[in-house]
Amino acid sequence: MQNLNLNIAGYRICFLSAEKGPDLIPSERFRRNICSTCESDVQVTVHNGLIKLPGTALRVFHAPFVEEINGVQLRHKANFWSIWKYRKDLYILTVFPLMDTEKNAVLKFSPDNKNWDLWIEGSNKEIDPFEYPLDGLILYYLTVMHGDIMIHASGVNHSGFGYIFSGVSGKGKSTMASLWEEKGAKVIHDDRLIIRKKKNGYMMYNTPVYNNDTPAESVLNRIFIIEHGPENRITPLRGALAISMIMSNCIQHNWDHDIVEGLLESVTDMCNSIPVAKLSFKPDKRVITLIIKDEQR
Amino acid sequence: MTDLNIILKHSPSVVTRKTGNEYVLVPIADNIADMDSVFTLNETGAFIWELIDGKKNIGNIVKALTKEYETDEATAEKDILEFIGTMHKYLLIGSRE
Repeated sequence: MQNLNLNIAGYRICFLSAEKGPDLIPSERFRRNICSTCESDVQVTVHNGLIKLPGTALRVFHAPFVEEINGVQLRHKANFWSIWKYRKDLYILTVFPLMDTEKNAVLKFSPDNKNWDLWIEGSNKEIDPFEYPLDGLILYYLTVMHGDIMIHASGVNHSGFGYIFSGVSGKGKSTMASLWEEKGAKVIHDDRLIIRKKKNGYMMYNTPVYNNDTPAESVLNRIFIIEHGPENRITPLRGALAISMIMSNCIQHNWDHDIVEGLLESVTDMCNSIPVAKLSFKPDKRVITLIIKDEQR
Repeated sequence: MTDLNIILKHSPSVVTRKTGNEYVLVPIADNIADMDSVFTLNETGAFIWELIDGKKNIGNIVKALTKEYETDEATAEKDILEFIGTMHKYLLIGSRE
């Protein structure tokens, strides 16, 4: 197809194949996010081949390729993806490490402009323009553009009440989601969420991570910063401590003052209206009972 | 022994936000591995942070803390040097040339 329209977390992303560009074929992960909308928050024109960055472009941020298998982190590449800046334009240089044949790609974009360009080498026939890690990077910069929050967290809705459980790897996000699922709650996601401020309050959204992910959203009523502990305990957090603990779990590229200030403002704003607590827990259903009782108190 | 005449300044590579009487400090980083550090300052830390302005030396800050919190100079100096040590360690402050 020449046009691919996706709706993820309420962001409308339109991929458009350039002249002599590839057919755009989304992977299984994104099939449930295809929409027919014409209006978009961002339009990405997809080209076959690569471009060279301007000679004086400055690398401002980079990441290694680290894969986590059963809690063990394996570092595969020192230079996986990187962000470059030239005047007002930003460039993401990346490889697609999970494709059968590893390909390089360059995304040229600006948070001030909704028309972006993507070049993918060897994409003369068909390509998924939202291949990992570009999917998460594009979504991240959409949150930056909109003042939203992307966070390491699981999220559930139980009886119309939305909770998120935030922590980095190994803190118990998936465990908590499973415990709530057994209780009959709707799991929004067990690993990564986008939080957006809407007219009537805060909403949480999933983003496609697994092939069976279907779009899901919920109101957000309470935030827990989680960790495994010897007993179940809820400790309310306020002020700078609440903000800093949430900030630590946010997905963020802290190379730019404005980006950090924007996220700090969004997180502070959220902490002023959504209660935050630290939750130390043992992985059994008694923690669910504790949270529900605490809510009714 | 630390020279109390040293003048301190905030690092340009840190973003701050005041909330109530506290601060959140987020360092600027150029790679994803260095982004797990977010700092908070309590009321006393915030008081010291605001005195670090590129003009006052450590001795001036010790005197101001002594006056504000009605403590003796030796205790104030010890607390401030500890605070400065931590701030230096995480590159949140520097000294003026």
